[in-house]
Amino acid sequence: MTSDGARVTRRGFLGMGAAAAGIITLTACGADSGGGSGKSGPLAMTVWGGEPDRVTYQKRLDLLVAKYPELSVKLQIIPSDAYAQKVQTMIAGGSGPDIMEVAENVNSYSSRSQLLPLDDRIKAAGIDMTKSFGSIGSIYSYKNQTYAVPDRSGAEIVYYNKTLFTKAGLTPPTADWTWQDAENALKALTVPGKQWGYGGAAWWPSWWSFAYQNGGKIIDPATGKPTVNSPEVVEALAWVGGLMAKGYIPTKQEYADMGADVGGDQAFASGKVAVNTTGFWAIANLLKTDVEWDIAPMWRGKQQAVSAFGSGLSISRTSKNPDAAFKAIAFLTSAEAQKVIIDTGQDVPASIEVQTSDAFLKPSWVTKTVDMKAFGDSSAFVYRAPFIAEWNEMQKAIDNVTANFWLGKQDAKSTLDALQKQLETIIKPAS
Amino acid sequence: MSIATPRAAGSVRRPRLSKRRRQEALWFYLFVSPWIIGFLVFLLGPMLSSLYLSMTDWDSFTPAKWVGFDNYKTLLTKDPVFWKALWNTCYYAAISVPLSLLLGLWFANLLNKQIRGRKLFRTLIYLPTLVPLVATAMIFKIVLAPHGPLNQLLGLFGIEGPDWLLEEAWVKPALVVLSVWGAGSATVLFLAAMRGIPRELYEAAEVDGAGPVRQFWSITVPQLTPIIFFNLVMGLIAAFQVFSQVYVITGPNLRGGPNYASTTVVMLLFDQAFSFFHMGYASAISWLLFLVILGFTIAAFQTARRWVFYESEVK
Repeated sequence: MTSDGARVTRRGFLGMGAAAAGIITLTACGADSGGGSGKSGPLAMTVWGGEPDRVTYQKRLDLLVAKYPELSVKLQIIPSDAYAQKVQTMIAGGSGPDIMEVAENVNSYSSRSQLLPLDDRIKAAGIDMTKSFGSIGSIYSYKNQTYAVPDRSGAEIVYYNKTLFTKAGLTPPTADWTWQDAENALKALTVPGKQWGYGGAAWWPSWWSFAYQNGGKIIDPATGKPTVNSPEVVEALAWVGGLMAKGYIPTKQEYADMGADVGGDQAFASGKVAVNTTGFWAIANLLKTDVEWDIAPMWRGKQQAVSAFGSGLSISRTSKNPDAAFKAIAFLTSAEAQKVIIDTGQDVPASIEVQTSDAFLKPSWVTKTVDMKAFGDSSAFVYRAPFIAEWNEMQKAIDNVTANFWLGKQDAKSTLDALQKQLETIIKPAS
Repeated sequence: MSIATPRAAGSVRRPRLSKRRRQEALWFYLFVSPWIIGFLVFLLGPMLSSLYLSMTDWDSFTPAKWVGFDNYKTLLTKDPVFWKALWNTCYYAAISVPLSLLLGLWFANLLNKQIRGRKLFRTLIYLPTLVPLVATAMIFKIVLAPHGPLNQLLGLFGIEGPDWLLEEAWVKPALVVLSVWGAGSATVLFLAAMRGIPRELYEAAEVDGAGPVRQFWSITVPQLTPIIFFNLVMGLIAAFQVFSQVYVITGPNLRGGPNYASTTVVMLLFDQAFSFFHMGYASAISWLLFLVILGFTIAAFQTARRWVFYESEVK
């Protein structure tokens, strides 16, 4: 140290501190530093869900490694609630996953070029998307480019309580039921204050199904503009509103009184609701109940239409080895690996071949007779939901603006007018 | 400090420090460095970068685009949700902060009396503060159900309780009810201060014929004003940043709802940043919130001169 060491120490120290702070801040929040481990490391794959999902994905990855020993994939399972934030942070930090599960908000990423377009790779691998996945083959595309291969995809289906149907002298629901048929049945199944015909349609997949059945659209695919207050959509929502007003659906208050977070799924499982429309996941729980039930495809309006739940596999921009990642995706979405999805009872595999196979129609874990054909039958009329880049914002707006409608405090027309106005501020039509 | 920084800048020739003083200075910086580094890395750095980001259009993925004051302009002129969120937050702060203070003061006064089992009562009053916020919020979700315990209690008095969390008009009062649950922490501070008030003051007042009410208003409250002030400022800052309990109690389906009635500013900030990918916009929200909190805190300090009484202070 020199003679004026103290000064040097002080200045130097502060300077060093500031520099360190700057560097740390920059690297923490800052741009993507490319670099990394090169091609040799295992592929990182992010999916959401819980333990059963982990088991299923891992089994499929084990099959992958058995077939391609040169590949290795590290599975990272993230709770659904935290998935988007976690992945966002990973990508922003430059260490995004190679293989990434995406769903309705896929275009939040693709519109910001965070996913690799897969068309060339799909063509090179000789995958026929329409033949493999039916009407949803191109569901994860944005501006005519495909960003994910469908992996899981099950239509919303009708669960009905067989005992209550027999008691009311009704025949099981079919895909040919009209709104009037459905309403008549729901009426017959309602015992005021004790038992309700229908679990409700407050979640977007349900009332959107009716809107599309009525010829309506949430977003006009041609212009990219919201059209939620069109007469067709208003009529569909008003129909559901009518079912609520007539007491065929439990009110929010009645649901809240059944317990914290009780909705249609739980109310159906306890036999309080005779018909419920939801996805595949309800099956596993219902097998454990004493309720006698079965499933059927969604009824129809002016035309057939139903929402589907699913997810696809995509490759993130930050992937260090996109070729290997695609090789893995191609295998995971092939019939061989897709069969595991139904064998473990995780979900409906997107592969049409598997959906129509015996493995799917009679899974060993389904201990009751369940008409699994309902899923394959529904696949034919799944409508193309608008997976816009502003999906999360749109959902938030829908939840908030329709809240009073579901409480029976606002009519369909004024609700959807308000929603239209809100959506117009959120959605910038694709140019 | 004064040892380590000999005289102000301007004097070109600094007196040399002795070896001992140099060493002392070195130790000073060594000991203070964890705080300095922490401040620079975790506070100043992020603050400056968020100030920059608030002037950009940044989705957290692609490079940020400089947009100047556009985010602030949109927020203040074109975003009805922001104004609603600000109103919600002010509403919450305006009711929950004074209410918690009053209740804390009242509880502390009760617990300061010579009654049987007051140690037990003191523990019980403070206990809710020890329960994690998320757990409390989950329990309140059940308590506030349309026919839940709270409404049943109201029913005993012939009052038909509202659907607390489902209705636009009642979700904010429900959050206030939840905030009052935490009044125990203020109570503890008040109680400690009350026990520090010299007995002579009360004895003198008693001799002069002051009753308990007069004693409370003329001795207890003035003596407590520094603590009231402290609780007021901390309460304001916390209330304006309220987030976790709202996130849990209104979630998962009506988070921030119904109809944005429980969307607080931080809630909106969180959605914009981590759900809608508008990191720049969210940064602008955080700076506006910072200004609002700063404004209220300054206002509190301004009025403090008139009503806060420090015993040691010489005017």
